[in-house]
Amino acid sequence: MALVTLRDVDFAYDERPVLRRISFDLEAGDFVGIVGPNGSGKSTLIDLIDGLQHPGAGEVLINGVPTNRFRRRQMACEVALVPQHFALDFDLSVREVVEMGSYCRGKGAESCGDAELTLARLGIPELAGRRFTELSGGEKQLVVLAQALMQHAKLLLLDEPASALDVSHQLRLFDLLKELNGEGLSVLCILHDLNLAIHYFDKLLVLSDGEVAAYGPSDEVLRPEIVEAVYGVRAYLHRHAGRTYLTFSPRLRPERRGRVHLVCGGGTGAGLMRELVDAGYDVSAGVLNALDTDEETGRELGLPMAVEAPFSPIGEEADAENRELMRRADLVIVAAVPVSHGNVRNIKAVLEVAAAGTPVWAVRGVLDADFTGVTAELEPAGVEFFADDAEMLAALSKRMPRQAGARGADAPAHEVDAPDTGALTT
Amino acid sequence: MTRLARTSVWPGISLAAGIFVVCLVLSLVLGPVSLSLSQLWHFVTTGPVPGDLQNAIFWQIRMPRVLLACLVGAELAVAGVILQDLFLNPLTDPYVTGVSSGAALGATIGIVLHWAQLPWMTVLALIGGFATLGIVWMAARRRGRIDIFVLLLAGVTISYLASAIVTVLMIQANQDMHAIIYWLMGSFSGRGWQEVEIALVAVPFMIVPLFFSREMDILLQGEKRALELGVEVERTKRLLLVTAGVLTAIAVSVCGIIGFVGLVVPHIVRLLVGPSHRGLLPVSLLVGASMMGIADLLSRTVIAPNEIPVGVVTTFVGAPLFVYLLRRGRKG
Repeated sequence: MALVTLRDVDFAYDERPVLRRISFDLEAGDFVGIVGPNGSGKSTLIDLIDGLQHPGAGEVLINGVPTNRFRRRQMACEVALVPQHFALDFDLSVREVVEMGSYCRGKGAESCGDAELTLARLGIPELAGRRFTELSGGEKQLVVLAQALMQHAKLLLLDEPASALDVSHQLRLFDLLKELNGEGLSVLCILHDLNLAIHYFDKLLVLSDGEVAAYGPSDEVLRPEIVEAVYGVRAYLHRHAGRTYLTFSPRLRPERRGRVHLVCGGGTGAGLMRELVDAGYDVSAGVLNALDTDEETGRELGLPMAVEAPFSPIGEEADAENRELMRRADLVIVAAVPVSHGNVRNIKAVLEVAAAGTPVWAVRGVLDADFTGVTAELEPAGVEFFADDAEMLAALSKRMPRQAGARGADAPAHEVDAPDTGALTT
Repeated sequence: MTRLARTSVWPGISLAAGIFVVCLVLSLVLGPVSLSLSQLWHFVTTGPVPGDLQNAIFWQIRMPRVLLACLVGAELAVAGVILQDLFLNPLTDPYVTGVSSGAALGATIGIVLHWAQLPWMTVLALIGGFATLGIVWMAARRRGRIDIFVLLLAGVTISYLASAIVTVLMIQANQDMHAIIYWLMGSFSGRGWQEVEIALVAVPFMIVPLFFSREMDILLQGEKRALELGVEVERTKRLLLVTAGVLTAIAVSVCGIIGFVGLVVPHIVRLLVGPSHRGLLPVSLLVGASMMGIADLLSRTVIAPNEIPVGVVTTFVGAPLFVYLLRRGRKG
C-alpha cells in the first residue's frame, strides 16, 4: 500500500479551482520534489496531504485511510510539515520551540529530551539556549525543521525550505534530507530551484495550473520542452563537469525582431548568441567546427548553423551553406574571432554579402588576431566596427538594420511595415 | 544520552506565591482600623465571634473584600493571558470580547429597574456578559470555525453598542446616574461574602487553562502551525474563549469594570518568566491577585475615609511598574 495516495483530487478555495484531477502515489521511502510556477497549487497540495484542507472531490489517503478520518494528533504522528512562512513573535527559547514538535507524541519521557539531539543532528546544537526571535532567517528555518523532526513522522513535507538559506546551507539541508531519507524517512519537498531539484531528487512532480504536468524520474521530467510548456520560458539543457544543468531565457516575443547571422568560433560568439536569442532575434551561425564551444552553444540553443568537421578547414559544402544563411540574414555580425587559413572563407563570404548590400557589424577585436590580412578589407567594404560585444548589443537595441528583400518567407507581415525601422547607413 | 533539565517554573511560582501571601497579609491588617499581626492570627484562628465589633469588621467587611479583590485580580489576569495569546495581540485585555460591556449593560438595567439588590444585579450582569459572548461567537462562526479576528472586531463593535445603550439609559434615569457611574468605575466597596461566593465559581475556570499550557504555547505560532503540530485547534480555541468569557463576566458582575490588570499583568509576567504558559499562567494568576489586593488596599487607605476608585489605583500602580520592566527587558 502506498504511503500517500491521491485519487482524482479536485480542490477549490471558495469557487476558485486550485487543483484539478490530481492523482499520484507516494511510496514509503520516496524522495520526491514538487516544482511548478507560483500559484500552481503546490502549497495547497501539501496542505491536502497533511489533512489541513480536504478535497472537494476525490480522496487523499495516508496508508489507505482518508485524511478526514484522522485526529490532528494522529496525523501529526504520520505527517510532519515544514511551512514556508513561520511567525513567532514571543520570546521563547529555541529549545522550547523545538520541543513543541513532540506534542503529538504525548508527554512520554522518551520524546521529551531529544531537542538537543535533533538540533545537533542539524549542526546547530549551540542554538538550544538562544531566543528564537533573535535568530537569523536561515537559522529559524533550520529550527522549524528540527521542530518537525521531533514529530518522528514517517513522511516529511517541506514547503520551500531552502528559500531563506544561502548556498552552503541549502546544500547542507538537502544533503541532510537525503541522509534522513536513507534512514527511512519519506520526503516530499516543494522547491523552486530546478537545478537543485535535478541534482537531489529521485523523482519530481511538476504542477502546472493545478494539474500534474509530469511525474517521474527527475531527468525524464525536467526536459526543456516540459519546462517551456509549464513555466513559459525557454530552457536549455547543458552538461558540465559530469552534471546536467538547466539555464533559462525569457520566452521569445511573439513578433520576430529580425535575422542575424553570426561569424564566430572558439567561444568568441557564445555570449552574443545567447544575448541575441534572448533579445528575440532569429540567430544563425557559421561556419563552425563541430565540438567547438560556439558550435556546442548553438546546438544547445537549437540554432541553424553551417558546420564543418572538427579541426578541419572550411570545405565547399559548409561554405555554400553558410553563404545561404548569410544571404537570408538582415544583419551579419563578426565576432572577435581569430582568422587563419582554416576559416578565412568566412570573412570572404562576409565581404561578399557586404558588397551585396547586407549590413555587417564587427567587433574590433577581429582585426587583432588575423593571420591572413583579409580583415583589412572589412572597413573599406562598409563594415561598421564596435569596441566590444556590449557596445554592439546596445547599438542593436536602438537600431536593427532591416532589408526587406533579404528576409525569409516565414517572417510575419507586420515586420515589413514596422515604422521604427532604422535603415543602416553603410 | 545527555538530557538537559527543562527550565523549571517552580522558582517563579514560589516567588509569586510568596509575594501574594505578603500582599494578602498586608491587605488584611491595614485599613481604617489597622490590626497587628498577632490580632490577625487571633481572628483567623478563632473565626467569626458574634458580638465582637473588631472581629465583625474583620470577618464581615475586610476579609470578604480582600478575598474578592484577589479573586477578581486573578480572574482578570488569567483571562488577559488567554485572550492576548489567542488574538496574538498585545493590546488585548479581557474587555475586548464585549463581555464586560454586556455585563455593564445588564447591571445598568438592574440599577434603572431598581433591582440593584443582590443577587439580581449580579445575575443581570452575568446574563448581559454571556449574551454578548454568544452574539460575538455567532458573528465569528465561519463554516464551523471561529474566526478570531472577526471575533475581535465583533467584540469591539458590540462593546460600543452596549456602551451607547448604557449612556442612553443613564440620561433617561437621571436620579440613578451616580449609581451607574460608580458601578461602571468598578469598586470592592461594600461587597461581602455573597460576591465572594460568586467569584469562587470562577476558580475551576482559572484551573482549566493550566491543563492546556502546552496547546497554548503551540498556538503562539498561529493556528495553522498548531494544526500541523497536532493540536485540535478549534476545540482548544472554543474552550479557552468560553473560559476567558466566563472569567471576565464573573469578575465584572461582582465589582464592575476594573481596567489595566488584565492588560498589564500578563505583560509584566511575560517579561519576568517568559511566554511559556507553564509558568505564565500560574504566575499571572498570583500576580493578578497580589496587584488587585494591593490596589484595593491603597484605594481604601490613601484618602480614608474616602475611597479612590480601584481602577484608578491599578493604573497608577501598574503603569510605572510596566514601563520600568519594559525598559529593563526580560532578565537574561
